[in-house]
Amino acid sequence: MNDNELLKARLAYYSFFSRVFEKELTEDKLGQLAAMKSGTPTGNEDIDKGFALLQRFFAQAPENRADELAADFARIFLAAGQAKGKAAFPYESIYTSKEKLLMQDAWEKMAGLFRAKGLSLSGVSADIKEDHIAAELLYAAHLAKESGAAEQLSFLEEHLLNWVPAFLADINAVAAYDLYKGLGQMLLGFLLEEQAYLTQATAKAESSDATLKSYSLSTDEMDRFIAGLKTEYRVYAPKIVTHRGSTRQVIRFQEISSVREIYNEDNSDFSPKEIYYPISQTMFYFTESEVTESRLKDDKGIVLIMHPCDINALRRLDNIFLHNGGEDNADMYYERLRRKVKIFMLECKQSGNNCFCVSMNSNRADNYDLALRLGDNAVMVQVQNPEWNRHFSGCTQAAFEPRFVTENRRSVHLPQIDGIEDVKLASALPYWSKFDDKCISCGGCNTVCPTCSCFDTVDVIYNETSRDGERRRVWSSCMLDTFTMTAGGARARKTPGANMRFKALHKAYDYGKRFDCGENMCVGCGRCITRCPKELDFADTLNEFADALAQAKKGGE
Amino acid sequence: MKNIMLPQPHAILDVLKETKAEYTFRVEFQGKSNHGQFFQLSIPKIGEAPISISGKGEGYVEFTIRKVGRLTDGIFGLGKGDTLFMRGPYGNGFPVDRFENKHLLVISGGTGTAPVKTMINHFYDHPEICQSVNIISGFKDIDAVLFTDELKKFSGHEKFNTIYCLDNSEAPGFHKGFVTGYIKEIPISSWGDDYNIVIVGPPAMMKFSALECIKNGAAEDHIWLSYERKMSCAVGKCGHCKINETYVCLEGPVFNYTKAKDLLD
Repeated sequence: MNDNELLKARLAYYSFFSRVFEKELTEDKLGQLAAMKSGTPTGNEDIDKGFALLQRFFAQAPENRADELAADFARIFLAAGQAKGKAAFPYESIYTSKEKLLMQDAWEKMAGLFRAKGLSLSGVSADIKEDHIAAELLYAAHLAKESGAAEQLSFLEEHLLNWVPAFLADINAVAAYDLYKGLGQMLLGFLLEEQAYLTQATAKAESSDATLKSYSLSTDEMDRFIAGLKTEYRVYAPKIVTHRGSTRQVIRFQEISSVREIYNEDNSDFSPKEIYYPISQTMFYFTESEVTESRLKDDKGIVLIMHPCDINALRRLDNIFLHNGGEDNADMYYERLRRKVKIFMLECKQSGNNCFCVSMNSNRADNYDLALRLGDNAVMVQVQNPEWNRHFSGCTQAAFEPRFVTENRRSVHLPQIDGIEDVKLASALPYWSKFDDKCISCGGCNTVCPTCSCFDTVDVIYNETSRDGERRRVWSSCMLDTFTMTAGGARARKTPGANMRFKALHKAYDYGKRFDCGENMCVGCGRCITRCPKELDFADTLNEFADALAQAKKGGE
Repeated sequence: MKNIMLPQPHAILDVLKETKAEYTFRVEFQGKSNHGQFFQLSIPKIGEAPISISGKGEGYVEFTIRKVGRLTDGIFGLGKGDTLFMRGPYGNGFPVDRFENKHLLVISGGTGTAPVKTMINHFYDHPEICQSVNIISGFKDIDAVLFTDELKKFSGHEKFNTIYCLDNSEAPGFHKGFVTGYIKEIPISSWGDDYNIVIVGPPAMMKFSALECIKNGAAEDHIWLSYERKMSCAVGKCGHCKINETYVCLEGPVFNYTKAKDLLD
C-alpha cells in the first residue's frame, strides 16, 4: 500500500466510525455492515474480536433489526429507559471531568481546536458537540489529511485513547445486542493501530529531520541568507574595526551584512561576550522613591558567528549567571539577552597565534545551530538545528563536516591540584610575588576574556539637583587593586601577585571544582596574552604555576 | 522574568546616633531575617553595599553604619521619612539553634559588634535558653565605642560576663589592649563540649582571636566567623566576594572555622 492508498483507507475508517456513533443506523447501512466479509484475521485482537461480535449479531439478528438497534442506540448513548448514570454517553467531557458532566474542559479544548483549524460541525446532527466521539473522529481525519504525524499522535493520545477504553467498557455494560459492542471494540482496535502507525511515523520524521544536512553556498547566496536573517536578528561576527581616526585596528564583534566582513585569520581581540553581557548595561531607573526595571531596546534575536572556544566560554558564563546559587537564582539581565542568542559556529581557518584551546579541551564545540566554513568564494554550511533547513531549501547540498583545530602553537600543562592541601600550597607559592613588579593591574586581560563575568554597579545621576538617575552594571576586573576593597578601605587581596594567584586559580581550578563540570573556566583563547601591555603571558603563567606547584609538592613529601 | 537584583524602596523610620561617625538607621521591613544576615543597601547617586542587620523588631530592621567611603557618606544625608532602596536579607546568618542551652563567647572588633548584637539581645531576652554569654568587644578608642547603652545593659545581667577594651587607651568600663589579650580570661576549657564561639571583626583580628581560642582549649568546629567582603550583587554573580570556590554571599557570611581556615584570600 503506498502512502496515498494508506491515507485513503485511514480516512475511510475515521469516516465509518464517526458515522456509526453519530446516529442510529438505517437498514441500508445495516445491509452494508452485514455484507462485510470476514477476511483473514487482521492480527489486531480488538478488531478481530469486534468483527466476530458483529458477525454473531448478524447471525442471530431479530427481524426488525433496525428498530431494535435504534432502541439499543438510545439506551446505550442517550440513556433512554436507563437508571441514572447507566449509559455510555459518547462525550469526552463525561469521561474526563471530575463531576462526569457534559461541556467541561475537554469540550472547551475540542471547541478551541475546531476553531483554530477553521472547522465546523455543520455536516453532523445538531445535538453533537465538539467532544462527541463522532466529532473527535472527524477532527482526527482532518489532521490525517493536513497535519504531521506528531500532531496526529498527540491528538489521538490526548483526546481519543484517553477515554475510548472506558467508553467501550460502558457500552459493553449497557448494550442489549452485540452490534455496538462489536463496533466499539473495532474502534478501539483501529485507534490502537493508528497509535502504533503514528508513533513509527513520528520517529521516522524526527530522525530524518535530525540528519545533519549541509550545503555549499556561494558568497552571494550566503549574504542573501544573512540579509534575510537581519529582519529578525542582529548578526554579529568578528570584524576589523578602526577606531575614530586611529590607524590602529581592532578585531571586535560587530554587526555584519556580508560574510566578506568576517575576520577569520586569528582570534578576535575582544570576545563576543560584549554582545550578550554588555560592558555597561542599565539595570534600572530610579527617582527618590521608585525604581523601574530597564527594558531591552528591541526584540530582535542575536546571531553570533563565533569560534568553538567562544561557544564553550558561553557555557561557563551560563553557569555563573544562570546557575550559580541555585536554579531559582538566575540573573535576569543576563538571561533576557542570552535567550535571544543563536550560535553559528565559525570554523577556525587555523589556530591563532596565542591560542591554547587544545590544552584547555575547548577546541571543539557541538552546541550550535549552524557551522560555517568560510572559503574564498563559497561558504559551507552544516545545519545542526533542523529548524534552519528551510532557509537553505534552494541551495546545493554538499558534504561538509566542520574541522576543529587539534594543534596549537602554544601548549599548557595545568597545575595538578588535589584537594585543599594543594590549594594551600599553591596559594603560598613565592612564585606569585614576581607579578608584584610586572603586572600594572590594568585589568586588560579580564576585559578581553570571554569567561570573565565580574561586575561592579555604578549609579548615574542625570542632574545634580535631583535624585533621578539609573544604576548600571559595568564589567569589573579581579586584577584591579580595588577589586576587593570594602567601604572602609580594607582589601582582602592587596598585591598584583595575590590578584594573579586568584585569577589563575579561578581560571584553572576553582570554577571546575565549584561546578564539578570537568572543565576549567579558561578556554585558552589567548586573547589576554595578545592584550597584556606588559607582555605577561597567561599560558606561561599557568605552566610556571604548574611547575612551581609540582616542585613544592615534591619538596613537601 | 524574576529580577533578583531589583531593590525596593523602604522608609527610614528613625536615625540614631551611636558615635560621631556611626549612626543606626531603623528601616521599615516586613519579613523574616536571621541573626547575622545582611541586606544590600543602596542610596541613589552612590551605589550599593552589603550591610549587616544590627537590630530588628516588629516591622523594622536596623543597620549601623560607619561614615567611611562614598557609599556610607551618602546614607548620612538621609533622615527619618526618607527612602532607602534595599534588597535582602542575604546570607546564612548564625546557627543560633545550635548555640542554645550552651555557653556562648562572642568576640567582636569595632563595627563587627553590629552583626552580633541582635543575637546577643536574643539571649539577653531569653536567658533561660543559655548557660552563659561571654562578650569580648574591642574598639579603637572611646569615641569609637558603639552601642554604649546596650553594652552596659549586657554587663548588668547575671548570666553575662563582659570584657570591653580599647586598643591603646583606658576608660571607665574599658580595659586597654586588643581583644586577643583577654581570651585567656574566659574559662573555655571548663565548658566541656557545651559552648560556641563567635568572632566578628577585621580579618587579622578574627584570625588571631581564633588561634588564641584554640590555644585556650577551644575546638575548631565550635568557632564561627562572619566575613565582611565587597559585594556588588550578593547573589553569586558579581564575583567580588569569591574566595577559592566559595562565594561568601551564597555560602556565608558565617563560616565554621573548619571551613574558614581554608578560605585563602
